[in-house]
Amino acid sequence: MRLYVGEHMNGEETAEPRSNEAPDPNPQARIVVRDDLRRSRLTVFFRFFLALPHLIVLGVWSLIALLMAIINWFAILFSGRTVGGDLQVRYLRYFTQVDAYLNLAANPFPGFGGEADSYPIEVEVSEARRQNRWKTAFRFVLALPAVLLASTFGAAGAQVGGDNFRASFGIIAAAAFLGWFASLVRARMPQGLRDLIVYGLGYSVQVAAYVLLVTDRYPDSDPLAPRYGPPPPDHPIRISTDDDLRRSRLTVFFRLLLWLPHLVWLILWGVATAFAILANWFVTLFAGRPAGALHGFIAGYLRYWTHTTAFLYLVANPFPGFTGRAGSYPVDLHIAPPARQNRWKTGFRLILAIPGLIVVGALGNAFALVALFGWFVGLMLGRMPRGLRNLGVFALRYHAQVAAYVWILTDRYPYAGPSLELPRPEAVPVPQSG
Amino acid sequence: MLAAVGVAALAGAWLFAAIRLWRTSVPGDLSLPGLDQHRYFGDAQLDRVASYEAFLRVDQLLATLATLVALGLYAARGARFARESAAGRIGTGMLLGMLGLGFVWLAQFPFGLAALWWEREHDVSSQGYVTWAINNFLSVGGGFLFISLALLIVMALAGVWRRRWWLPAAPALVAIGLLFAFVQPYLIPDLDPIRDPQVAADARQLAAEEGISGTTVRVQNTHNLGGGPNAEAAGVGPSKRVILWDTLLESFRRAEIRVVLAHEFAHLSRHHILKTFAWTALLALPIAFFVALTTRRRGGLFEPAAVPVAIFVVAALLFLLSPLQHAFSQRLEAEADWVALETTRDPGATKALFRRFTRIALVQPDPPGWASLLIDTHPSIMERIEMAEAWRARHPR
Repeated sequence: MRLYVGEHMNGEETAEPRSNEAPDPNPQARIVVRDDLRRSRLTVFFRFFLALPHLIVLGVWSLIALLMAIINWFAILFSGRTVGGDLQVRYLRYFTQVDAYLNLAANPFPGFGGEADSYPIEVEVSEARRQNRWKTAFRFVLALPAVLLASTFGAAGAQVGGDNFRASFGIIAAAAFLGWFASLVRARMPQGLRDLIVYGLGYSVQVAAYVLLVTDRYPDSDPLAPRYGPPPPDHPIRISTDDDLRRSRLTVFFRLLLWLPHLVWLILWGVATAFAILANWFVTLFAGRPAGALHGFIAGYLRYWTHTTAFLYLVANPFPGFTGRAGSYPVDLHIAPPARQNRWKTGFRLILAIPGLIVVGALGNAFALVALFGWFVGLMLGRMPRGLRNLGVFALRYHAQVAAYVWILTDRYPYAGPSLELPRPEAVPVPQSG
Repeated sequence: MLAAVGVAALAGAWLFAAIRLWRTSVPGDLSLPGLDQHRYFGDAQLDRVASYEAFLRVDQLLATLATLVALGLYAARGARFARESAAGRIGTGMLLGMLGLGFVWLAQFPFGLAALWWEREHDVSSQGYVTWAINNFLSVGGGFLFISLALLIVMALAGVWRRRWWLPAAPALVAIGLLFAFVQPYLIPDLDPIRDPQVAADARQLAAEEGISGTTVRVQNTHNLGGGPNAEAAGVGPSKRVILWDTLLESFRRAEIRVVLAHEFAHLSRHHILKTFAWTALLALPIAFFVALTTRRRGGLFEPAAVPVAIFVVAALLFLLSPLQHAFSQRLEAEADWVALETTRDPGATKALFRRFTRIALVQPDPPGWASLLIDTHPSIMERIEMAEAWRARHPR
């Protein structure tokens, strides 16, 4: 087994072929990024108010799009074909442009017509005229899982029950909220947050295209599918996967219970790790770099946590070992050796980690759905859908990066974008250790 | 020669310990009067409980049979699940052990569901099917943890003593069992102190009379379990306690609750939990030896592939030894009944208690002999009533 850091997931082609292919009569809606990350502080500050005219237009257009979808539902059931020209496609384009503007994924004020090739965040989508009647008849039922998953990407949500009130950010809203502050300070959107929003927008537009009967291709949650533009800089905490998507139905059924021994070991090892982190914090604060032994101990625990969490959330299939040994599991965490760290960043690490923790919280709901859907699909098909698996890998990597940051394994900030897992030109095959 | 002497000494010690544990404080010359159940129960009632229990017994036997068949198949084919593991030798053994229990759960599930349906039909249980299924599924988690720990110990020992792991493993497993018994009372949910001051006073007085003053008594809210009335003695050392189900307190008179309390205190004062562990330890040694013998062809318990065979062998041996286990348990229960009679000196309340049990929990007073041998852990209701009569005959007013 060979693991490739920064290479394709499992050596697979993670996105559709991008050139020299025959045109797909029923293509997946896909998002393309041409944004340069620069932001105008003024328009960022007033972004929501500036977007208000668009939101009004979008509201009206959404009603029309819904009406068109109902008409098309009958049209497809009776004739197998849609009607209405490219109205729905233009709506999807406009909807994405407005969302991108509102959520700071792009800088310029969008036009009102949903024109193609007019905006830095673009949707490539064409209406499938011929669609499967069965898939159309049950579209709203079939769409439920995708709509549920898309809801975790959406805006903020709130739960009220009894005396409890809980507000939570969707993934896009959390990234936009953090991006707003960053853009005001630096006049530049952090690439990770931008890519995260782009991913959310891309999935949302796929769901909208499916629900509005623009296409009968099921939405693909693969975070590696969008074209994000130039790759981000390397990171000391990377994830790799050598998973073949096969799942054992028996271990899927009992997955939660099979994980219990690992939970016990996580708790016991975690107590020792907590002391090691504290000691490592002092060492790094005074010496300017972590102690090698402490770094190795904490890294082992984090790798073990990654293995067991991948197992629990069905991101990988086999029962993991209890040692967290590098290269011992199909979904593996690669942690760079100890390096110098900024003392200021070390001193205020917990406060600095708050934005990362917000994104972790936002990703948590999607990650839970990966496990839930993966459980049902795994039981039925004995396989994990690639899109869901890759979303799980991404969520797992980000969780691990935030943990590594908080636990003083690195002072490099967690990279929120899914593009870190995309192929890198300079990627070097790393042989499996042990 | 030395080995033969050693084995003979071990066998002698084993036999001596077994005889000591078999003894109870029930008078050896106590003869039960052999009463007619129709004196205490109406024909209609006897017919109803007989048909009720007959279904459950058959269901239980079928569940046991299905379990053995499932584990037999698992022993033959289960080693292939090792490919689902990226863990090392012991971790893979743990996975195979847990999956074995998973098969047991799957095999028993339909029979459990049938039993619940039957209990609901007879108003013995009010638990919903979904609640039961979820609780039943989650309860497997405890078993998964226990077998993981057991296999961790056994396979680690097999790593050191490849063939003789069973010698240290048997006492080690019993020690783990004792640790679980110590912790178990702290894990029981929904426990409250006794609210009724009279029952609380009775508990204090009875505990003092049995020489275990200050023993904790708690009431468990079992409405969500939906079962009939019950009580239990749990824990060892400082964790010892008696737990009364609230359904018992709601359905029985004070004098009858006193009998139940005295019975449960007797389990603690006569060290029945420790005796049960000692008895289990006696059986664990030959069972572990037999497992070591039968798994040799697969490399012994050093190899994860031997785990499915080991689980099947243990389950089969436990089934074969169940009459012995049940007989031992029935002796301890009989002793607890006798001590309760000596403490409460109220055979009338004792008889009333068991008659009420029959009425509420639909317990058959005089079950067939094979059921007593293979299933029942307590003496029959008629035997318990007969003991009350025998006590009365020995203590004329």
